[in-house]
Amino acid sequence: MNPLTLGVLYGVVTLLVMFSGMPIAFALGTVATGFMYFLMPAASLDTITQNVYEEMASITLLSIPLFILKGAAIGKSAAGRDLYSAIHAWLHKVPGGLGIANVFACAMFAAMAGSSPATCSAIGSAGIPEMRRRGYSPGFAAGIIAAGGTLGILLPPSITMILYAVAAEQSLGRLFLAGIGPGLLMVLLFSGYAVYRARAEYTQAYRAYQQTGTHSAYLEQEHFTLAQKMEMLPRVLPFVILLIGVMVALYGGYATPSETAGLGALLAMALIALVYRVWRPSEIAPFVTSTIKESTMLLLIIGMSLLYSYVMSYLHISQSAAQWVVDLHLDKWMLLCVILLMVVVFGFFLPPVSIILMMCPIILPPLRAAGFDLVWFGIVMTIVMEMGLIHPPVGLNIFVIKNIAPDIPLKEIVWGVLPFLLLMLLAVVLLSLFPQIATAFPDMIMGGQ
Amino acid sequence: QGVTLKISHQFPGGTLEEGDFRDRLCRMFAAEVQKRSNGGLKFEIYPGSSLMKTNAQFSAMRKGALDLSLVPLSYAGGEVPEVNIGLMPGLVPSYETGAAWKNAEVGKELNRLLLDKGIVLVSWIWQAGGVASRTKAVVEPDDVKGMKIRGGSREVDLMLKAAGAAVVSLPSNEIYAAMQTGAMEAALTSSTSLISFRLEEVSKFLTSGRGQSYWYMFEPLMISKAVFDRLTKEQQNIIMTVGAELEAFAIKAAKQDDLTVASVYEKKGAKVADMNAATVKRWQAIARTTAWKDYADKNENCAKLLKLAEKLL
Amino acid sequence: MSHGFEMTPGKTVPLPAHPVLRMLATGLHWLNRWIIRLSMIAMLLTTLILTYSVISRYLFRVPTDWQDEASVFMLIGVTFFSAAYVQSYRGHIGIEVLSSLLSPAVNRWRLLLVDLLSMAFCGFFTWKSWTLFYEAWIDGQTTSSTFAPPLWIPYAMMAAGMTLLTLQLLIQVLDALTVLAMPATSTTFTGQPAVAGQAARGEKA
Ligand code: NA
Ligand code: NA
Repeated sequence: MNPLTLGVLYGVVTLLVMFSGMPIAFALGTVATGFMYFLMPAASLDTITQNVYEEMASITLLSIPLFILKGAAIGKSAAGRDLYSAIHAWLHKVPGGLGIANVFACAMFAAMAGSSPATCSAIGSAGIPEMRRRGYSPGFAAGIIAAGGTLGILLPPSITMILYAVAAEQSLGRLFLAGIGPGLLMVLLFSGYAVYRARAEYTQAYRAYQQTGTHSAYLEQEHFTLAQKMEMLPRVLPFVILLIGVMVALYGGYATPSETAGLGALLAMALIALVYRVWRPSEIAPFVTSTIKESTMLLLIIGMSLLYSYVMSYLHISQSAAQWVVDLHLDKWMLLCVILLMVVVFGFFLPPVSIILMMCPIILPPLRAAGFDLVWFGIVMTIVMEMGLIHPPVGLNIFVIKNIAPDIPLKEIVWGVLPFLLLMLLAVVLLSLFPQIATAFPDMIMGGQ
Repeated sequence: QGVTLKISHQFPGGTLEEGDFRDRLCRMFAAEVQKRSNGGLKFEIYPGSSLMKTNAQFSAMRKGALDLSLVPLSYAGGEVPEVNIGLMPGLVPSYETGAAWKNAEVGKELNRLLLDKGIVLVSWIWQAGGVASRTKAVVEPDDVKGMKIRGGSREVDLMLKAAGAAVVSLPSNEIYAAMQTGAMEAALTSSTSLISFRLEEVSKFLTSGRGQSYWYMFEPLMISKAVFDRLTKEQQNIIMTVGAELEAFAIKAAKQDDLTVASVYEKKGAKVADMNAATVKRWQAIARTTAWKDYADKNENCAKLLKLAEKLL
Repeated sequence: MSHGFEMTPGKTVPLPAHPVLRMLATGLHWLNRWIIRLSMIAMLLTTLILTYSVISRYLFRVPTDWQDEASVFMLIGVTFFSAAYVQSYRGHIGIEVLSSLLSPAVNRWRLLLVDLLSMAFCGFFTWKSWTLFYEAWIDGQTTSSTFAPPLWIPYAMMAAGMTLLTLQLLIQVLDALTVLAMPATSTTFTGQPAVAGQAARGEKA
């Protein structure tokens, strides 16, 4: 069987197994092991556990639970509630203000964490209930958090950019800086959409009220005096202290990136212990337990996805697909389109970490030959991979939201993230038309290449 | 008709003519063996750990799940302690000494040991390394006192600690970020990695390995014995011959990288220093009582290998 | 929609009807709760270790070269040991579009098949983890760092965790089988999520 046919078979079988309802982690592992059994040397089966272990046993990857813990300590305690009441008091007059606040909160957390699901979890655990309480439709609330969470790997620091920089032999500093402009662009796009959608939902709620008398939280009139607003400001303090503390540790050279993950989690817990007196084991247990549940689920998926991509590499599926693309001798921009399409296809099955490790060595040489700036491409690829995080079947951020808000049906989440997928696509187009969005900032700071 | 073998390595992928010399060597090896075996042996090359994690390669070869790999031998030090000799500071002071290993007693012993573990050495490749630093030049042992520095292996770390350094351990993909923020001041690594990690952007000083160094790393091209044994005698001969022939290319390319790294850092405005024989000797003296001793104490094989290697000094 | 999301974990994990299975499930449940307690401690310890290494380097200029690996070991342990607990309330997320399309009876068979396949895979993975552990133990393998802790520690945690996970799946499979073998009681099915439904039905039966 030629590798491309094999690839199609691999994909189809995977979709079948996943849509049968098998947990994603086991589905990836089962399909990989099955293909291994039939198509690879028997000795390969002896290496699966070591492969999974080697892939998982990196402090870069294992910092994900610590980032989630940091987010949960704030988001699942009274600190998160206070933070949101303060934001609400200040922004309730702005249509979609709470949505915008959540996008910004995601961006801020993204600047402290290198992983998207962790960002999604951190902000979503308080943000989604809060938005729904204020009348936002569940799909909209889920969409904002899912999409905002993806900023985790676009804004520095970023686990996938670290891996990309090594594979592409590009400057990590330049890559990190190049992510900032597009990150802000996406914050802008998401916020704009939040305003538009909140207005639409408000109008709808208002009409429903006029016609049938149905009440919606959107319609509640609230007034805060300036004194009340000022009173609420100190409540933002724990979050600000955490933000500054982690930034100083990370960018001031006090801690290595992985140490920052642990330090940040501890700082967050120290803050809620001091400010909110949350320190008893019985009070800490709920959010630590939820952190463990969530990260176990995520890490097993990531670990098995690496096994899955190993089989894909071994059977030469990804390499043959790339070779096939190169042999088409497309012009520069068609090549880019086809390669990004490949990233999208792999995004159906794999999280960003596995996509980077498997694809970079194959797709970068033709792109380099075509004259693309690989720093710019790294950013574009990151955004395309972010899209993979919020669409099924393997969309880590969707799984996180399923964990935070189990009662929102998958269908509503998918409809909710769809507009954001389009906005990300728009960001990719804008970035292709105006590469300066990514390159201007690093050029300014580090000088042109 | 025809066997396809897989070569895995961790270095950036390129072409026959361009890119990381270790990737080029694999490609040259593949092309030449394919030609001489009249297509009986074909190869698929997986650069950049795109097949499996760097640390999984050695063990996969031993089990016959991976055919060939070009990897720093000392990475397998946790599995087979003897191979730590592949990155023993001060034990190899020049490319010439490294090249002499293959046919000397130490090489024969290493060969025997690896055969016993299921690995056949195909091409003997050594590479020099140096130090990139952001705070001050690291040439003499006294320079590292109190410095936050990454040695990158147990043996090198032991030597650095004895010299008074505050050794930092972190994954190689975090070196850049740590150097940038100052969480780490200096790093020891191979000339090629000094470039591919782009440390010149965050360094002000370089101690180059051109000419002389106390840091030489053994990174051979290896084949799984289980796989090797399944090939015909003729195919085995072709593999070993081509492997040996490429060693000259490896030395030339490694030396070229030693020069390139210096010019890359100079261009970025870093101060470049070189090591002389006396400097190497001073580091060697520290390594002898720390890293060497630690290694020899591991087991009889280690002690024996070290003794045989010392004969070449 | 999807099975298991709606349950508060820990307290309302459904128990099988069959007395032997019920005992096994209760035992595993008890074990899981202790594991979660330990995991919480391990997690907090990890944050302390990483913070300590920052502090010791800056305040005392004493470097730590073990913090990364100690953290990796702990978090590997937390991940694998908690896998069974997460499975006990079906927190390993899957795509449940079929459940709303198929009839409850067909869904039960589908879930059984899915569980069987999951169990087969996890069983295989468990077996290979124990082999890995055995090799590391016999050869005295360590990581290749300066700290060089023995590799059998994380391998053993991976193997033990996967063993518990397989056991958890086995209980769930057997539970589904005993329920399927009692067609007479199927009228009490209350339309709850499939698996919780099976167990809830069992408890009523
Ligand atoms: Na980030
Ligand atoms: Na996806």
